[in-house]
Amino acid sequence: MIQLRNVSKMYPNGAKALIDVSVRIEKGEFVFLVGPSGAGKSTFIRLIYREEKPSRGSIILSNKNLARMKDREVPLLRRKLGVIFQDFKLLQDRSVLENVAFALHVVGTPKREIGIRAKKAIELVGLATKEKVLTAQLSGGEQQRVCVARAIVNDPMLLIADEPTGNLDPETAWGIMELLYNINKRGTTVIMATHAREIVDQMQKRVIAIEAGKISRDEAHGGYGYDV
Amino acid sequence: MTSSSAGYILSETLHSLRRNPMLSFASMLTIFVSMVILGASFFFMVNANYMASTFESQLEVSAFLNQDITPEDIERVRGLITVLPEVASVELVTKDQALAQFGQNMGANQSEIIEDLGGVNPLPDKFTIKTTDPQQVITVAQQVETITGVKKVRYGPGVVEPLLKFTQWLRWIGVGIVILFTVASLVLISINIKLNVFSRRREIQIMKLVGASDTFIRWPFLIEGMIIGMIGGILAALTVGYGYNWLVEYLTMTLTFLPVVHNAVFFGEVLTGLILAGMLIGALGSTFSVRKYLRI
Ligand SMILES: Nc1ncnc2c1ncn2[C@@H]1O[C@H](COP(=O)(O)OP(=O)(O)OP(=O)(O)O)[C@@H](O)[C@H]1O
Ligand SMILES: [Mg+2]
Repeated sequence: MIQLRNVSKMYPNGAKALIDVSVRIEKGEFVFLVGPSGAGKSTFIRLIYREEKPSRGSIILSNKNLARMKDREVPLLRRKLGVIFQDFKLLQDRSVLENVAFALHVVGTPKREIGIRAKKAIELVGLATKEKVLTAQLSGGEQQRVCVARAIVNDPMLLIADEPTGNLDPETAWGIMELLYNINKRGTTVIMATHAREIVDQMQKRVIAIEAGKISRDEAHGGYGYDV
Repeated sequence: MTSSSAGYILSETLHSLRRNPMLSFASMLTIFVSMVILGASFFFMVNANYMASTFESQLEVSAFLNQDITPEDIERVRGLITVLPEVASVELVTKDQALAQFGQNMGANQSEIIEDLGGVNPLPDKFTIKTTDPQQVITVAQQVETITGVKKVRYGPGVVEPLLKFTQWLRWIGVGIVILFTVASLVLISINIKLNVFSRRREIQIMKLVGASDTFIRWPFLIEGMIIGMIGGILAALTVGYGYNWLVEYLTMTLTFLPVVHNAVFFGEVLTGLILAGMLIGALGSTFSVRKYLRI
């Protein structure tokens, strides 16, 4: 599915975020990225959706090397991915439906399909009754659900999430995790960077720990593992 | 691009125009003001130029011939003057014509005047010479003066030099004002569009995240810029058009000696130009400003 080979990332200011990282993630896996603040988790995520290019090494995603990918191919890559963020990144002045449909419009989906698919995704995240509400008027948990709906509406093969529960209370966070769990069960690969100890401990999925830019631990069924 | 995308781009454009009415209005106002200034300074330049040419075209060299010159000699002198490269036209005013002219001015007829002057016409034959370039008046005068048969040359020295200097200045000032205000309006507009795009960098970022191509992202901004520019341009064209008409009417009534340009075709061209310039600036401005935020 996705393979990093000797990947290093140095930012223009000289910060070494990742150092010689090699890892392979198979199709259908659910992977937690854990590690202290500044370890390089977000950098890892950004490399996968090609917001950043690796300074060294290669990243192979469905037979394409992202390190050599041209800028104009990036939109095509992103259409195969779903991305979820801590701060949701929604259009505040538009309804739930419009936000989800947005992702279909920009990739040129035929009009008659857009409504059907967007509504299906919204139903899946449990917001069917709030379709017409502006996202600015939703709670944090609901906003994150919209974000999930938008991320899955294109049926991505890979879902990447950077601290998707970072701004949510524990109960709401579990609601989002349930969504991701179900999406993963339907065959979508999920990679999620998080600081949520309880969630990681309880779900017993693959855990990749990053410390100071290097992989320090990689367990098939692990816990959060830090005592801090 | 599919027709579904095209429709979506249009609805996006309208959405962003409606959602940010203050900013859209500010951009439109900026383009409006810039185009009014540009149009006004353009008309100023054209009129300055026209005035300069009008004043200059009134410059001519008068070459007075010897009293006893023969008709053959007159033709010889005409030939010598005509071959000068700087000469545009040569016109002979005979002593009889000059006298008739003089008489008309005095309100008397020719024979009466000749009688009064003792039976002799005292006026000389004269060539009136126009030059191809008004700046050549002095050179031509000097050359004509050396021709035998020419008694005296007059071109109003002391008047010509300062007048030419003045018209030159008038032209430079006109060009200067246009350049100055073009730069000023570009600066104004780019600040405005930067603000506009900056307020939407989040939207652009999200579009990129869900896999929109750069072209797709640019279109709504481009169309929006063009619409705003067009409205600003049309309003500016109306303002400048009516303003100029009013000013021309006022000037031709009060300062009748002042030459002003009043040409309907040219007038329409300038106003159309303002509208197109507004659209172009709106489109270019948005394209350049969006580009910065596409590198996400
Ligand atoms: N855009 C950037 N420019 C320069 N340095 C950066 C940039 N982004 C991250 N870094 C640096 O790279 C290192 C890794 O950052 P990263 O954001 O990947 O950490 P993280 O593991 O996601 O941390 P956190 O848990 O706090 O989100 C840090 O030292 C950080 O300062
Ligand atoms: Mg991070």
